[in-house]
Amino acid sequence: MRPYQIGTAAAIVLIAAVAMFDRRDIFRFVVGTAPGDVGASWYPFWAAGIMGLAAVGIAIRAATTPQPTEGAFTGRESVLAVVRLVVPMILYAASFSVLGFYIATGVYMGFFAWYLGRYKVHWILTTALVTPLLIYLAFEVGFKLLLPKSFLYQLIPGFPL
Amino acid sequence: MEVLGLLAGGFGTALQPINVGFLMVGVLLGLVIGVLPGLGGTSGVAILLPISVVIARGDIAGANSTTAVILLAGIYWGALFGGVITSILFNIPGEPWSVVLLFDGFPLAKRKGKPGLALTSSFVSSFVGALIATLLFTFLAKEISDRALAFGPPELFGVFVLSFATLIGLGAESPLKSIAMLALGLLLAAVGFDTITGAQRLNFGSIELLAGIGFVPVTIGLFGIGEILASAEEQGIGYMEKISARLGFSDLLEALAALWSRKWLVVSNSVIGFFFGVLPGHGATAASFLGYGLARQYAKNKEDFGKGEISGIMGPQCTADAAGVASLVPMITLGVPGSPTSAVIMAGLFVWGLQPGPLLFIQHQDFVWGLIASIYVGHFLTFLLCLLLVPVLAMIMRVPYAIITPFIVVISIIGSYSLNNSLLDVSITIVFGLIGYWLRKMKYPLAPLVVALVLGDSTERELRKSLIAGAGNPGIFFSSPLSSVIMILAVVLLLYPLAKTIRGRLRPAPASAAERKHAA
Repeated sequence: MRPYQIGTAAAIVLIAAVAMFDRRDIFRFVVGTAPGDVGASWYPFWAAGIMGLAAVGIAIRAATTPQPTEGAFTGRESVLAVVRLVVPMILYAASFSVLGFYIATGVYMGFFAWYLGRYKVHWILTTALVTPLLIYLAFEVGFKLLLPKSFLYQLIPGFPL
Repeated sequence: MEVLGLLAGGFGTALQPINVGFLMVGVLLGLVIGVLPGLGGTSGVAILLPISVVIARGDIAGANSTTAVILLAGIYWGALFGGVITSILFNIPGEPWSVVLLFDGFPLAKRKGKPGLALTSSFVSSFVGALIATLLFTFLAKEISDRALAFGPPELFGVFVLSFATLIGLGAESPLKSIAMLALGLLLAAVGFDTITGAQRLNFGSIELLAGIGFVPVTIGLFGIGEILASAEEQGIGYMEKISARLGFSDLLEALAALWSRKWLVVSNSVIGFFFGVLPGHGATAASFLGYGLARQYAKNKEDFGKGEISGIMGPQCTADAAGVASLVPMITLGVPGSPTSAVIMAGLFVWGLQPGPLLFIQHQDFVWGLIASIYVGHFLTFLLCLLLVPVLAMIMRVPYAIITPFIVVISIIGSYSLNNSLLDVSITIVFGLIGYWLRKMKYPLAPLVVALVLGDSTERELRKSLIAGAGNPGIFFSSPLSSVIMILAVVLLLYPLAKTIRGRLRPAPASAAERKHAA
């Protein structure tokens, strides 16, 4: 677990360093700052500073105290289980601009029914069609919440955009 | 007496058909969310926040912001009860606060063959715990808010610092990790326009980031997507026990008799749970373990714990529910969330145009007392629904993984997108889902991050208003007795983990077995 703990702490230090660099104008007077005010950069600069210092402390503790011997994952299978969920999720979100929410959701649900569920074709199609339809009725018709759509929806006759 | 009159008015609001209807919907959704291992109360409330906006702005006839908060709170109450069902019947905790029920709830159901008694004992004690906490809430909330009205910027800043200090000083996780998460939350809250000078901060040239990083997409990512990824990793490791989920009237009578014989345990744990839950960051999960520890500590039959002892169910359940109710107290009275879930509800208040804090009691009496009255009604409804619907709720666990997992991802994405109609928010949710999953694995606490993200802006504003008023002199924070006490308390709490470490190092190490043998 030690390398993972140190690596995580290092990533936090890096974020802190970037934020502190961005807010480096803390050390000069900015026009428009009220008398007595510490300015716009003081708070994020020191929040980042504290975060970085805490992360250094975490890294030192991880390096100098006994750590669990097992890794971050229980095995190859557990990594694959997460990857199997993350990759389609990213592709699903990325496809909104092209497919729009409803078509993307149908494809996403159908993919899982086929890939993980190994269902028969009629069940895959039912899942892929019923889920977006129910969401459309509940959110767009019921609560008037508009979800992302793409140019493809203009091709569906009568579909409200 | 004034409080009783206000509460009666609150019941008038809470019992309006539209409010009861949405309370019922919230409780049912909360029960379902509680049963599903991949979805928690916090993410459930966050996902439904956009719908609550529609309700609060009056798009539905008769509904208003009170209806919206009743819906969100109902989800919380439902999730508090629902999480125990899977712990007791399947040995799979539906919520973090129901983990402790694996110790005695599952053994009572499986080994002793009394699932009905295990479930009803849990529901009855949850109900009593929540009832006691709501009574305390009713009579203490106005008192606290009346006193808080006298708070100026230094006192308010002190309260925020104190709430951060409790997250660090009294948290179960490493204090350094709590500090890092807290600072990360403050840093994220600073992204975008500075509210005082209008300067751009940490947006790295992005126009979309000028509006800041939304609290809702971050929370849905951390708690919704993060939990889904964690449970995906565990798929195939656990196996599902199959125990009958039917409840009989005899189970209820037996549970009531058990409750009567443990009345002092339940009452004392509920009161302790309430005051524990008032502390920011100490929601139902930590309280449930505290309640179990107390029940075991003062039991005469310690050896029965872990084998299906009813005190091991009732003790943690009443404490957890009392803490859950209490986490709304600082949110309503001071504008400081007591738990991640109440932080999401507080974010809802901001979105609906309400300012949580003492002024809420003056400007929106209907809202506050409607919410308080709805806690009574909500818990009664939850209790009834649990008794009636356990077999149906248990069936949810049979929905295949290949359907339920992508469906939770889909509704999480709807929740993050529809508040601002922003695809950037969807990206933020996914990124924070991955971050939350990893931070959880590395044992970083997420509650400080969420609380700091909600309070970050207010903390900075009160800090700078105080300094401007004090002409840059930090002595302003010690200018009044109240702010001095709050600041000193915060410093003590911050130093507490350090003092604990030093004391641990100074204490002589216990002799090893070999040394003891040698001495003998």
